Amino acid sequence: MNQSRIGRIAPLARLALRIGGRYLARSPQLVFASVERRAELRHDLALRSAEEVAEELGYMKGVLMKIGQMASYVDEDMPQTFRAAMARLQHNAPPMSPALAASVIVEELGDAPERAFARWDALPFAAASIGQVHRAITRDGRAVAVKVQYPGIARSITSDLRNVALLRRVVSAAFPGMDTQSLIDELGERLREEVDYLLEADNQEYFAQYYDGHPVIHVPGVVRELSTARVLTTELVSGESFEKVLQWDQHERDMAAETINRFVSRSLYRLHAFNGDPHPGNYLFHGNGRVSFLDFGLTKRFTNQDLVPLVEALRCLVIEKDGDCFRSALERAGFLKPGAPVSTETIVDRFGLFYSTVLQDAPMTITPAFASAIVRRFFDAKGPLAPYSDVPRTYVVLQRINLGLYAVLGSLNATANWRRIGQELWPFVMGPPSTPIGEAEARWERERAAREPAAAIR
Amino acid sequence: MDSKQGVNHMEPLARAFSRSVSEHPADGGLFGPQSVVWRVHRDRSFPLAALRSLMIQALHPLAMAGVAEHSNWKEDPFGRLAATSGYILTVTYGDTAAAHKAADRVRAIHSHVNGTDPATGLAYRAGDPSLLLWIHAAMVDSIVHVVQRYGRGLDSPGADRYVWEMVRFAELVGVPAKDVPPSVTSLEEYIESVELRQATPAARDAIGVILDPPWLEDETRELWRDLGRVAAGTLPAWARSMYGFAEPDPESMERDLVRQLIGAVDLAFESQPGVMEARERIELRTRA
Repeated sequence: MNQSRIGRIAPLARLALRIGGRYLARSPQLVFASVERRAELRHDLALRSAEEVAEELGYMKGVLMKIGQMASYVDEDMPQTFRAAMARLQHNAPPMSPALAASVIVEELGDAPERAFARWDALPFAAASIGQVHRAITRDGRAVAVKVQYPGIARSITSDLRNVALLRRVVSAAFPGMDTQSLIDELGERLREEVDYLLEADNQEYFAQYYDGHPVIHVPGVVRELSTARVLTTELVSGESFEKVLQWDQHERDMAAETINRFVSRSLYRLHAFNGDPHPGNYLFHGNGRVSFLDFGLTKRFTNQDLVPLVEALRCLVIEKDGDCFRSALERAGFLKPGAPVSTETIVDRFGLFYSTVLQDAPMTITPAFASAIVRRFFDAKGPLAPYSDVPRTYVVLQRINLGLYAVLGSLNATANWRRIGQELWPFVMGPPSTPIGEAEARWERERAAREPAAAIR
Repeated sequence: MDSKQGVNHMEPLARAFSRSVSEHPADGGLFGPQSVVWRVHRDRSFPLAALRSLMIQALHPLAMAGVAEHSNWKEDPFGRLAATSGYILTVTYGDTAAAHKAADRVRAIHSHVNGTDPATGLAYRAGDPSLLLWIHAAMVDSIVHVVQRYGRGLDSPGADRYVWEMVRFAELVGVPAKDVPPSVTSLEEYIESVELRQATPAARDAIGVILDPPWLEDETRELWRDLGRVAAGTLPAWARSMYGFAEPDPESMERDLVRQLIGAVDLAFESQPGVMEARERIELRTRA
C-alpha cells in the first residue's frame, strides 16, 4: 500500500482528517447548511479586524487548508461526510463582525452598506469561500446575496503562494514522490482565481446567460454595478440543502441527480466550460429536478482542441467499440504514453471503468461503492497502466470535478439511463430527448434558437 | 526504522493547552482576561518564543545542570515541553486556585533537584531564587522579543506593562518580587549582568536535540527545523556566539516569511482535538 499513490497521500489525508474532524465536531450543521445558517455561525467569535482575519486564514493557513481540501477528493477511505467537510473547509472561519464587513463594502462600493443597498442584513447568513454572504435588497428592489471577501486575504494568499520553499516543504512531506511543482502550480492558479471575485462574476454571468430560462437548471444572475474584486452581488436564491435532499424520496433524488449530470455535460459540450467544485454546498434544490448552481469561483474553459480527443475517446469506445481507436485518442489527449507495452484489451479494461455509466443502454444506479471504486481506480498506482498514464494539466480540474461528481451522484444513489441522457448531448450523436427533463430541455433549446439564432450554432 | 518514528509530538502540547484552559474557572486567575499577559500568552508566535527561551535558559550552566541531571526530558522531549507549557498556561488562564496548585507542585519538584555541575564544579539548587530569576528573565525577554518581532504586535508601553505583570509569575515559584526586573530595560540589564553564562556540553547537547528532535512526524519535521533555525536567528549576539551559530541570513528572518512558517505550525497545532475549543474559551472570556 505504501507504494501506491493513495498510500503516499495518506499522511496529508490524515492531516486533512484532523482538520476536517475538528470542524465537523465543532458545528456539523455549518458544513451543509445553506439557507438559515444564522444561528450556526459563531457571531460571538466574529473577527473584528483585518489582523484577526490574517490570524485565522492568512499566513499559509488558508493555502494549507486548500491542500487538505484537494487531498479530500482523492482519499477513498475518507467518509462522505468528511469529504464534504473538507470541501467546505475554507468556508468555516468565524464570520466578520458587522463593522468589519461594512468596512469592506465602504472600500469596495464607496458607501456604507445601508446606503449602497436599500436594505442590508448586517449579520451574514452563510459562509463563503474566503468570505461571507449577506442578504440585501438593492435600491431598485431586487433581493440579492452579497458575498464579501475577508479584508487582506487576497494580499495574504498571494504572498503565501510566493513562499514556494515553504509550500514545497509541506507538500512534499505530505505527497512524497509526487510532482510537487505541478501540485503547487495547480493550487496557486486555483487560489489566484478564487480571490478575484470579478473573474467569478464573469464566469457566473457566462453560465447565467446561457442557462437563462432553462426548465431545471438555474444560475443566479450577477448584479454588475454592485460587484468588485472583493464584493460579488448576485440574485438571492432560496432552496433546500443537499443534506435535506438526502431525505427526499428516491424519485426526487434521481431527478436532482439527472439535472446535476445534465448541467455538467451540457456545460462541457455546449459551453466548453466546466464549473466549480461539485460539492454539496454548491447546490440548492427546489424539487421536481430543479437545481440552482452556486459558486463559480473555479471555472475552467476549454478550447475545441482540448475537447476533441475527449470526444473522440468517448465515441471510439462507446459507439464504435473500437479499442485501437480508443487507445489512440487517449494517447493524443496525453492520458496514455504512446507505445506503452500494454495490450489494447488491458487499456480498454482499465480505462473503460470511467465510462461504465454510459457503456450500456440501460438504467444504472450509481452507488457510493461504485463512486469510490472509480476514485480508487483513478489513483491506482499499482495497476498495469500506472507507469504509462498521466493526467495532462489541461484536464486536471476536469478529472477532479468528475470524481467529485461521481461522489455526489453516489450519495444520491441515483438511477437513470445515463447513456441515453449522455447521447442527447454528445456532439456525435445528438440523440432525442430520453426523459421528461430531456423533453423540457429540448423545448427550451428550440425556443432559445428561435429567439436568438446564433445560440443554435453553439 | 525506529518504532517511535512518527510520534505525534503535538498531542501532549495540545492536551496541556486544553487542560490548562478550564471550562468553568472560579475566577479570572492571577492576571485576568484584560491583562497584557492574557493577550501575549495566546500569541501564535509562542512556539518560537519557547524555543528561544530554552536556548537562552540553557546558557546558565547551573540551570542547565539541574535539567540535565534530574529530568527525563531526553526520553520524552515533547512531554517535558508540554509540562512546562502546561504550567505557564495554567498560571495564566487557570483560576487562582489552579495557579497556586501548579506553582506548589513546581516548588515541590524543585526542592529535590540539587547537585554539582560537572562543567563548572559549582553546586546548584533548583529552588535557588537566583537560578529561578534567570529562567524567568530568559523566558520573559524571549516572549517580548519574539512577540514584538513576529507576533500580533506589542508596543513599548505594552511590553513594559507585560514585564511588570509577569513579576507575579516569578514570585509564584519563589523569587522575591523586589529582585524581579519590572521593565524591559531593567530585564535586559539584568541578563547582561549575569556573569555565569556559557554553553556547557550539556547545553549544546540539549539544544542539538531541540533543534532536531528524534521521532518527529514527516509532516512537521522540516517545519520544526525551520522554526529552530529562526529561533536561533533571534538570539542576541552573545548567545549566538556561545553556541557558535552563524549570523542569520536577514532574508530568512523576514517577518512575512516567519509568520507563514508560524501559521503552518499553528494550523497543525490547532487541528489537534481540543485546541480550537480552548482558544474559543479564552477568546470569549476576553470579550465578556
